[in-house]
Amino acid sequence: MQFLSRYGRTDWFGPLLVTILAAIIVGSLSPSFLSAFNIQVLLLAVAINALVAYSQMIIIAIGEMNLSVGAIGGLAAISFAGMMQVWHMPILPAALLGILIGLLGGIINGVIISLTGISAFVITLASLSIYKGINLGITEAQPFYGIPNLVKHLGNAPFLGPLPWLIIPTAIVGFGLWLMLTRLPIGRCILAVGGNRHAAELSGISIRLTVIVAHALSGAIAALAGILLCARLQIGQPTIGDDWLILSFAAPVIGGAVLTGGHVSVGATTLGVVIVAIITEALVLFNIDPFLVQVVLGVLILWAVGINRLREFRLKPLRRA
Amino acid sequence: MSRLTKLLGCVGALLFSGLAVAYADPSTKIALVPGGPHPYFASWAQAGADAKKDFNLGAADYKVPEQWQLADQNNLLESLVTQGYNGFLLFPGDPVGSVSTVQELTDSGAPVIALAGCLKDPSTASFCFGTDVYRSAYLGTQHLIAGMAGTKKRILHVTGFLVDPNTQLRINAVNQAAKEGGATVAETIADIDAPGPAEEKINAYLAAHANDIDGIISTAWVPSVVSANALRRIGTKRIKMVAIDHDKAVLQGVKDGYLLGTMLQNPYGQGYIGSYAIDKLRNGCKVNASAPWTKNALTARFIDSGTVFAGPEQVDNYLQSMQAITKTIFASFAKTYLICSK
Amino acid sequence: MHPPSLQIMDISMPSDGPAAASLDASDTTLTPSPRVRRVRFYLTNEFGLVLLIIIFGAAFTFAVPRFLSHFNLFILGRTAAENIVIGFAMMVVVVTGGLDLSVGAIGVCAAMGGGWLMQVAGLPWPLAVIGGLLLGAALGFVNGWAVVRSGLHSFIITLASMSIFFGVMIFITRAQAFRSIPLSFASFAHIRYFGFISPLLLLAVVIMLALVYLYRLTALGREMLAAGARASAAELSGVRVKRVIILCHMLAGLLAGVAGLMLVARNDAAIPSMAGQLGQDWLLPAFLGPVLGGTLLSGGFVSPLGTLLGSFLLTLLTNGLLLLQIGQFWVEAVLGLLLLVAVLLDQARRSFIARRRMI
Repeated sequence: MQFLSRYGRTDWFGPLLVTILAAIIVGSLSPSFLSAFNIQVLLLAVAINALVAYSQMIIIAIGEMNLSVGAIGGLAAISFAGMMQVWHMPILPAALLGILIGLLGGIINGVIISLTGISAFVITLASLSIYKGINLGITEAQPFYGIPNLVKHLGNAPFLGPLPWLIIPTAIVGFGLWLMLTRLPIGRCILAVGGNRHAAELSGISIRLTVIVAHALSGAIAALAGILLCARLQIGQPTIGDDWLILSFAAPVIGGAVLTGGHVSVGATTLGVVIVAIITEALVLFNIDPFLVQVVLGVLILWAVGINRLREFRLKPLRRA
Repeated sequence: MSRLTKLLGCVGALLFSGLAVAYADPSTKIALVPGGPHPYFASWAQAGADAKKDFNLGAADYKVPEQWQLADQNNLLESLVTQGYNGFLLFPGDPVGSVSTVQELTDSGAPVIALAGCLKDPSTASFCFGTDVYRSAYLGTQHLIAGMAGTKKRILHVTGFLVDPNTQLRINAVNQAAKEGGATVAETIADIDAPGPAEEKINAYLAAHANDIDGIISTAWVPSVVSANALRRIGTKRIKMVAIDHDKAVLQGVKDGYLLGTMLQNPYGQGYIGSYAIDKLRNGCKVNASAPWTKNALTARFIDSGTVFAGPEQVDNYLQSMQAITKTIFASFAKTYLICSK
Repeated sequence: MHPPSLQIMDISMPSDGPAAASLDASDTTLTPSPRVRRVRFYLTNEFGLVLLIIIFGAAFTFAVPRFLSHFNLFILGRTAAENIVIGFAMMVVVVTGGLDLSVGAIGVCAAMGGGWLMQVAGLPWPLAVIGGLLLGAALGFVNGWAVVRSGLHSFIITLASMSIFFGVMIFITRAQAFRSIPLSFASFAHIRYFGFISPLLLLAVVIMLALVYLYRLTALGREMLAAGARASAAELSGVRVKRVIILCHMLAGLLAGVAGLMLVARNDAAIPSMAGQLGQDWLLPAFLGPVLGGTLLSGGFVSPLGTLLGSFLLTLLTNGLLLLQIGQFWVEAVLGLLLLVAVLLDQARRSFIARRRMI
């Protein structure tokens, strides 16, 4: 009992329970769900979507939001593909430059936000248009097709059993973020700034630097997600990132993140991504009327935040005690 | 893609330069406006440029709305009127919603032809010139059913946005062809015109149900590409597939035997002949009401720009077959569909 | 017992909340000298927007003489009218410090509802319009009710309701359009007064005047502002914050319905795709108008005139950039850049005013 209540309080316990339950239910109704190939497909989706969610999560941690996550990811993806096709750049430098572009995009967001004090919502709304606009201006909305075969291979093939290559960068980033948020000073600064900006400032934390670092990280992670998606889709699509916004918020929120900041969990966010992936897949597996899919996703978000809300109410007295 | 377009353009220019006629009108300024950025329309740019040269037009410019949004397209069209364009070849952003915009274009004195996709009657567009969506999906499914002989004939249908009414036409066509051919449509996966969701849904379905289907019919560009890649990745040739359009991945899939074939459309011919027709309409010609119009689900004035099934033998020289169709349509076009006083 | 949502109200919002409150209270402070008042007028956001509209208008006229043609002016006014009302729909929720991502979805639902009433139910169009607007308000009520009951930020609630409203609409209509729209209704979007004024633009102006009246002269409007500026204080002084928030969301739904029905008139049809997938196409104009117009995202301050001017400026720029043929694909980048510049200028203006203590 004590064991249960101890784990019941952590962020990841609820989502983990839901994940296991969902996997068991879907798996028992449709045995092929647990086949190696299906797990590989699931992991591919999770690998990219988890990065999208992390990218937003780190901004939620400082109590802001970043609407330009998708625009940065798209810009990095088409830069990556474009540099390889047009300039015949080798893969690694192209990928690094792509991530650098994302990093830069994030830094620009962060610097403007922290220097002017204008809300991140407005600034990233503007930069969303700018980054997306640059993307459209460069590509004229036509995809880049010249993706090297090695990239296509890495974007789809497994390296061990059902584990795809794409899961490796995601795992590294996830572990790095966990390490940073729980063990490193900068992580504590981020959570402190999100939790109570005024108190953080009084205790000597540089708000500006923290905000810039968080946005830079967010940009770099979004760029990485864009590049991986580009490898997975085998083309540099200008529309990459257009539909990330809902997911980027849904997964951290399902994972118990508090939108005012100061409280996020890498593990629970990842589980949030897994839950969304399983549900998306279940809708296809069970042949749900395609016209209803949107409704189910909307209800899912509400249901998840509802659960969170309940948990928060239940936990409040505990925390105070 | 661009190589293809260029090749297409060169062949087209060669073919038609001899047909160019002298009553050309340099005051004709035509805009070719697709519904949004999409690789399908890329050859309109070349078609317009060729038509401008061959028919001595003032302009035949390819103008793309920034995004696939009705409002964006309307804004662009309105600004083109202000800029003095006086003829429009238009892929309607919405078959119903674009009717009033087309009305405003024709009110400004510019003839409009619905290109590649139709407007719902009644509208003030002169006629509709494009792929018969229903027929293309229907024929594609028939080819698929023929290729699935000896199996249980269970089909997966992958297609585009549900808000596009053409999607419903395609679904109906595939269901009808399946019924007639003794096949069953196991599932229709729609709303996957963006690569991300397409990748997720199609792979998820194949992962679970690959053994429950014998064939895939795709009636939209992105799902074609994604399904072709998926079949290649799984490495199966048991599941037969018929795709649509001429994306590299699709053509290569056909060549390598992962796909039975693909339903090709004729965007170059649409742009070229369409520009020619607009110029004629501005210079004393009228639409011939008693021409042998085809009727489709949207309009009673439809001209089929050609649909060709390209199997492994045809993919390499499909350009020629499309050129042949374009040439046939062009040769009798003015005589059949227009009444000219001059 | 405060609704939990209030703790999350100022999520991501800037520190100019107090400045807003003082802006709002400007009429109760000491009367400043005429000179200061004059300078303050020149420093208002609205004046800046008018200036920008004149500058850009002149520049576009110079570059593209046809810019001032009757046709273009008519088109400009009509498109602006739609963007203005979309901006209002967002603004009335932003007042409370919340936001409504589902404006587009509600707008399309209301439009489809109106279309259904006209075509299938065969009602005369005024009744159908009322029906559509009521549907919009009802969906707004669902949003507002969910926000106050759950205590979650409206961002999350409307993120979910956007999917649900739009999905149910698509499910019911099977994505089929209603196109038997009475001519007398559709003609609103096609009549041109004096050759270039759209009735829709006049309607947008009337709505603006109504909103000014609401916020300046009615108790309800003041309560809305108070609930947005400092919810807990408002609660203590007797404002029923929950009820006010629900009303704000209903008003947003109503205005989204107006915008949706404007589009029905403009397209002669109610079509499910008119605001894009999930109605997302409306989000940018919905936020740009109020933000350019000086409405604070943290709530408590509102400027209907500013929103009108901001949305108009946005439409003007889009129209002008298209006419300049700078390449359709760069329009969005330029718009984003201009938004950024506008926001930065506005910030500079605010801090200038604050430094001089002119308020």
